[in-house]
Amino acid sequence: MTTTTPPTLAIPGQLLGPASRYQPGPGTHLHESNLHASLVGQVHITQPARALGPAKRLTKITPAPAPAELPTLSVTPATQLASAPSREKKKREVLPEVGNVVLCRVIRITPRQAVVAILVCGDTVLEAEWQGLIRVQDVRATEKDRVKIYESFRPGDVVRAEVISLGDQTNYYLSTTRNELGVISAVSEAGNTMVPVSWKELMDPKSGLMELRKVAQPQ
Amino acid sequence: MNDRRRINGPAGATLAPFFDDAAPQDLDTRSTRSRPPNATRKLLLKTGVTPSASGSAYLEIETSAKPGLSGLKLSCSVHGPRALPKSAPFSPHIVLSTHVKYAPFATQQRRGYLRDSSERDLGIHLETALRGAIIADRWPKSGVDIIVSIIEGDQDRETSKLQGDEVWDMMNTLSGCITVAAAALADAGIDCVDTVAGGVAALVQDADDGSAPSIAVDPIPSEHKRILAACCVAYLPTRDEVTNLWFRGDLPASDLDLYTSLVGHGIQASKNANRVLIDCLSGTVG
Repeated sequence: MTTTTPPTLAIPGQLLGPASRYQPGPGTHLHESNLHASLVGQVHITQPARALGPAKRLTKITPAPAPAELPTLSVTPATQLASAPSREKKKREVLPEVGNVVLCRVIRITPRQAVVAILVCGDTVLEAEWQGLIRVQDVRATEKDRVKIYESFRPGDVVRAEVISLGDQTNYYLSTTRNELGVISAVSEAGNTMVPVSWKELMDPKSGLMELRKVAQPQ
Repeated sequence: MNDRRRINGPAGATLAPFFDDAAPQDLDTRSTRSRPPNATRKLLLKTGVTPSASGSAYLEIETSAKPGLSGLKLSCSVHGPRALPKSAPFSPHIVLSTHVKYAPFATQQRRGYLRDSSERDLGIHLETALRGAIIADRWPKSGVDIIVSIIEGDQDRETSKLQGDEVWDMMNTLSGCITVAAAALADAGIDCVDTVAGGVAALVQDADDGSAPSIAVDPIPSEHKRILAACCVAYLPTRDEVTNLWFRGDLPASDLDLYTSLVGHGIQASKNANRVLIDCLSGTVG
């Protein structure tokens, strides 16, 4: 049993392999120390990233190999049926998770928070629109008490933010407390797309006027 | 509840007169079961039938050779996972909502456009059956709608309205609903611990001579003289777990093992349906 390789195609509930040899990835679940599929699709085995460069000489006793050494098994749903080529490529729904970097648009601002609509999660465009909230204390890491929401975001801005909590019933809680997070695209009051000037200023290239924002570091 | 939005026909619907020249004794002939007692009817299952839904499936149960006896035709669509409405409280797991609706023309007695109590009942049973199979915490703060439409009910058109209890039909319908919803959920890509399928077993009495009742799997109520008890089981084969059990009827108190045996036969029927389900799902990835 332990020597068998996992199947290439999986059906929910199908046994994929023992948990002592594989790590559970997306589309799988653990049951009685065995990995089972939880989706219909193809099974992928991802080998763990090997340590770069020559391994250090062991000068002290290390604990047993970390579980991260094991290859990860995941099941990805079949995206397109060969029998139905006309059918649009079906995307699987994705949910924002804690730690994900998302792109969102500011809907409205209040002195305490900015309400945003989450549009993109990681690399995937979301099907449904999820609402997020950037609270005034999550805008930047320093001088939190001097943050003013209207000097950081305006409605219509596109913001890169990180999910910090699933939040309450309606909102995900987002944060822009890192350099690379913040406003990435905004239009000025005159309606021109602005360019970043500093970490808290954007400039309208036509009129030369400055506007205050929590600007994301260009990448 | 009255349906005020549509123009419905009169409440007391009548059937067109039907004149039958057959001799009176012919009226009472019931079709008898031709399958062995432990054989289920053939199933057809297909996924991905509704393009606009995130997942969908269609199930058809073999129509028996007798004309006028229709099989079961079910269509299921799964919408979501999607954001919960703003008024809903925070939920760390997926919120299932199941709707089972007979099409107005599905059964002999015309159904209304609003769900009645038996349809709501089926929905609740279906929800319990599926909740045991879904890994709900993979999708926090989201909801999924599972809508099963019964296009054709499992009914003998020749039996009169008064004859036969509709509840036994509901058992077969529920088992079909569970199987079709499991296929649609898998098509939608919602994480499940296993493929759940439904099965029905019944304790039937075919003769009036006081002979011992026997257990039949996947019963058609019109093929049996009397159904004493029936159970509908939703079963996970890999885990060997039952997620929903609906039992109805009376068992003779003398035989205590009968109940276990009845449930066991229900599980057997569910395993048969599961084989079809797995074949259908393997076809979509292969």
